[in-house]
Amino acid sequence: MSAAELARLARAEERILELAAGLGLSFLPQEFDVVSEQKMLEIMAYRLPVNFSHWSFGRDFEIERTRHEHGYAVPYEVVFNSDPVRAYLMESNPYPIQVLVMAHVYAHNDFMKNNRHFQHSRRDMIGLASEAASRFRQYEQDYGREQVERIIDAGFSLQWDLDPEEPMHRESERGTRERLFGWARESPPEGSFSDLLPTPAPVSTERKRELRLKTPPAPTLDLLGYIIEHSPRPLAAWEKDILGVIKSQALYFLPYRRTKIMNEGWATYWHERIMQRLFQEGFLSSEEHGFYNLYNARVKAHLPRQLNPYLLGFALFKDLKQRWDKGRHGAAYEELEEQRQREAWDLASGQGTAKLFEVRRTYMDWFFLEEFLSRELMEELELYLFLEKDQGAHYDTVVEETDWRTVKRLLVRSLMNSGVPRVRVVDGNYRDSLQLYLAHEFEGLPLQEDYCLRTLQHIHQLWKRPVLLESRQQEGERMQRKLFIADGSGVRVNLD
Amino acid sequence: MAILKPDYDSSPRGAADAARHREKIRDAIRANLPEIIGEEAIITREGRRLVRVPVRGLKSYHFIHSDGLEGGFGSGQGKKGSVIGQRSKEGRPGQAGDQPGIDYLDTEIELEALIQMMLQDLGLPNLKEKQARETLVPQGWKYESVEKSGIRPRLDKLRSLKEAIKRTEVLVGELVRQSGKGEEECRDALERARGSLPEALRLLREGELREGSAGEPRAAEAPPRRIFLDSPDLRFRTIQQDVETHSNAVVLAMMDVSGSMGLQQKYLARSFFFWMVSFLRTLYRQVEIRFIAHTTEARVVDEEEFFHKGESGGTYCHAAYELAARLVAAEYPTDRWNVYPFHFSDGEDWAVERTLQAVRALLDQGVAALGYGEIQSEYSSSTLLESLRSGLELELRRSEGFAWYEGRYRDIPLLGLVIRGKEDLYPALRAFLKPEKQPSGVK
Repeated sequence: MSAAELARLARAEERILELAAGLGLSFLPQEFDVVSEQKMLEIMAYRLPVNFSHWSFGRDFEIERTRHEHGYAVPYEVVFNSDPVRAYLMESNPYPIQVLVMAHVYAHNDFMKNNRHFQHSRRDMIGLASEAASRFRQYEQDYGREQVERIIDAGFSLQWDLDPEEPMHRESERGTRERLFGWARESPPEGSFSDLLPTPAPVSTERKRELRLKTPPAPTLDLLGYIIEHSPRPLAAWEKDILGVIKSQALYFLPYRRTKIMNEGWATYWHERIMQRLFQEGFLSSEEHGFYNLYNARVKAHLPRQLNPYLLGFALFKDLKQRWDKGRHGAAYEELEEQRQREAWDLASGQGTAKLFEVRRTYMDWFFLEEFLSRELMEELELYLFLEKDQGAHYDTVVEETDWRTVKRLLVRSLMNSGVPRVRVVDGNYRDSLQLYLAHEFEGLPLQEDYCLRTLQHIHQLWKRPVLLESRQQEGERMQRKLFIADGSGVRVNLD
Repeated sequence: MAILKPDYDSSPRGAADAARHREKIRDAIRANLPEIIGEEAIITREGRRLVRVPVRGLKSYHFIHSDGLEGGFGSGQGKKGSVIGQRSKEGRPGQAGDQPGIDYLDTEIELEALIQMMLQDLGLPNLKEKQARETLVPQGWKYESVEKSGIRPRLDKLRSLKEAIKRTEVLVGELVRQSGKGEEECRDALERARGSLPEALRLLREGELREGSAGEPRAAEAPPRRIFLDSPDLRFRTIQQDVETHSNAVVLAMMDVSGSMGLQQKYLARSFFFWMVSFLRTLYRQVEIRFIAHTTEARVVDEEEFFHKGESGGTYCHAAYELAARLVAAEYPTDRWNVYPFHFSDGEDWAVERTLQAVRALLDQGVAALGYGEIQSEYSSSTLLESLRSGLELELRRSEGFAWYEGRYRDIPLLGLVIRGKEDLYPALRAFLKPEKQPSGVK
C-alpha cells in the first residue's frame, strides 16, 4: 500500500470517526494494522495476532486459505476487544472495502465498549497470548512437542465448559463455603431495612462438616478451572499454565460467542449508514460505491444452510428501530389479530434509536432473539429448519420446518448457553477416592455419546483417577439415567 | 486512531502447523487402514490418483448436544419439503447408524501413498522387482559393436578415419626413426610415396626429394596434412536387436456370478482384486487384469459385467479354470508373464473332482501363484475350499485372529481364504502378500 493510499484511508477514517460519533456511537481508542493476506488468514485461524502453535490452528489456517483461494472471500474483518481496540486491514483489499471494514469496525468498537458482556474481558489479551506463545515454545523444547500437544488437545476439549459469570463475580472456594454456611449473614449488615432481610436458616452441624469437606462446595461449571486446581494427578506447573491460558482465552472469546448475531448486526447496521454518508460527501467515487454495494450484498446474503449473523442481526436492529419508532410493541399491539391493522399501526413514538442503544448495552443473542425476533421478521427472512436426509447414495438437504413458532423455539434453544451443554463438577472426591463426578443438566437434549466419551478420555488424561459423568435422556415416557465412565481401562456407558 | 503498517514476524506459522495437521491425518489413516481399505470410494474411483478417505479422530471433541438429527437453520427461499442442496456421501462408511458428517473428516491422499503405508504396515516396505519373473521385450534395433569387416552401407567413416590417422602417425614416426631425417621431410616423403612405407624410405635414402621442396615457401596456413586411408583402417558397425527386460503380470480374476453371489459378496471380491492389482503394480512394470465370470460355463467378460451382472443357474468351477488355462496358453505364456489366477466363489461347486483336475492343469502351466477365496454368505454350501485343501495338501495358518490355508504345488505358492466381511480384507491381503507368497525366483 503506497503512502498516498494510506493517506487517503486516513482521511476516510477521520471522517468515519466524526460521522459515527455524530450518530451516537462511542469508542475506545482505535488502531488499524495493515497486514498481508498470509498474516490475515493466520490471525483468523489462530484467533489472535500471535498465538501458540497447535495442529487445529494449522487445520483452520488451511481451511481459511482454501476458502480465500477459491474466492469465497468476503471482506475480512478481525477486531479485538483490546485497549486500544485493534483491527486489521488486509493489504490487498481495494479502497472501498477498506473503508467498509473501518466503518464496520468502529461500530464493533462501540459495541464492545458498551455491551455489558464485554466489560470484564482482559483487554490485554493480545499481549498475553504472544507471551504465552513463547512460553509454550519453551515447554515444547523442555518437555517434548507431543507432550505439549496432548495437554493442549485436552484443554481445547474443555475450553467452552466455563462459568460465564466467573469474570463478573469471582468467588474463592472459601467465599463459596462461607456463603453456603450462611456465616456471612450471622451478623446482618447495619441499615434501615436490615430487618427485612431474610434470616439465614440455621445450618446443622452435620451439614457444616459436610460443607467444610465437600469439594467443590457447590457444583461448578468451571471444569477446566477445577481440574487445574484440584487434579490429583498432579499437574505440573507448565501443564497448569497451558490449561490456564486456554481457559483465559476461551473466557475472552465467550462474549463474542454470546453476541455474535447482535455484534455483527450492529456493525452492519451502522456501516451502511456511514457508507451512505461517505458516498454523499465524495469520499467514494460512484464506481467505488458500486463496488461497495456488491460486497455489502454479499455480506448480507441469505445462506441456505447457515444463519448469516450479519443478515439476521442487521434485520433485527432495523426492525427494532422501526417498531419502536412506530410504537409497535406492548400488549395493545401484540394482541392485534389482523395483519392489516398491525401494518397500519403507527404511534409515531420515535423511540427507535433510544431502544437500539438500550438493547445494545444489555442483551446477548439468546435473549435478543427470544424477545425481538417477530413473526413478521421471520417470515420476511424466510427462516427455516433443514435436515440432512439420507438418500442412499447422498444426503439431501431438505427444508423440514417453516412454521415460525417451531423454528423460533428451536433456534432460541440452540443459542442457550451458546449451544454448550451445561456440565458441572459435583464431587471431586467421589467415594472418598478422588474420583471426579460430573453431572450434565438435562435441558431437553441428550449428550452426543461419541463426543462425550472422547471428551471424558481427555478429562481422564488430566485427572488420572476415574471420571464419571451422569446424564439423562428421554427414553419413551420416562427419563433414563446414563452414566459415562472413563478410567484406566477405557470408556464406557452404563444405563440404569 | 491510527492506520499503521507494522512489520510482523513473517515466519509462516500457519504453514508449519498445517503440516503437523497433515502429519496427524496420515497417522490417523495408518491407524485405520483395515477400515479404510474397504472404502467403496477408493475401490470405485476412476483413474484418479487422489482418493478421498474418511479419517477419524481429527476433530476437536467437546461436550455437545445430540438431537439425533443432522441439520440446522437457513434463510431465504425455502418451501417446506423442498430440497435445497445435496451432499455427496463419497468417502463415508455406508453402514446404517452412522451419523453423516459427525465423526469423519474427509481427506485426500494419493493412492500410491496409501499403498506404501499399507506395505509398511504389513511389514513389506521393499517389495523388489527382482523377485519377479522377467521377460525380454523388443525395442527395435541398435548398434552393438564395431568390426574390421562388414558391408559398405555400415561403414563407420569416423572410426575408419581415426584408424587412418593413427596409422599415418605411426608410419611418420617409423620413417623418422629409420631414416634419421626430420619429421616434415618424412611426412613429405610419405606423401610422395602415397602412403607406402618402403617407397618413402627409399625416397628418403636416395635423397630424391627435390632440393627445392624443403625451401618452398610455405603458405601461412599450412595445407592439411594428408592421411592415407587403406583397407586395414576400415571399420564397420554391427547391429543387434534391442531388448529390454520387463516384468509383466496378469491377474486372472475369476468369479462365480451365479445367483448366490450377492452384491456384497461381489463387492468384497472387487475390493480384494483392486488391492491385489494395486500391490502387483508396485512390483511389476505392467499389470493386466482379465475377468472370467462363470456359472456352469465360463466367459471372458469386461469389468462392468464381472462385478455388476448376476446370472442364475448352477455352478461348475472347473469351467473357469479351464478357460483360464486356455487364456494363458494363447495370450499369457508363462515364460513371459507372471500369471496370478485368483478365484472367488461362495464355495458351491457341482463337480469338485473335475475342478481339482483343472486347477492342477493350470498349475502345471507354471503360474506365479494361485489363490482361491471363499466369500461366505448364509446360502453358501462350501465344498470347494475343503476339496482344494485336501486335494492340494494345504495347511492351516493363523495370524492375528485370521486363519487361512496355504501350501505349495511344485514350488508354486497356493492360498485359500475365507472372507466374511470387510474386516477380513486386510488380513486376507496380508496373507496374499506374505513374502513367501512371492514367486520364488527369476525364471
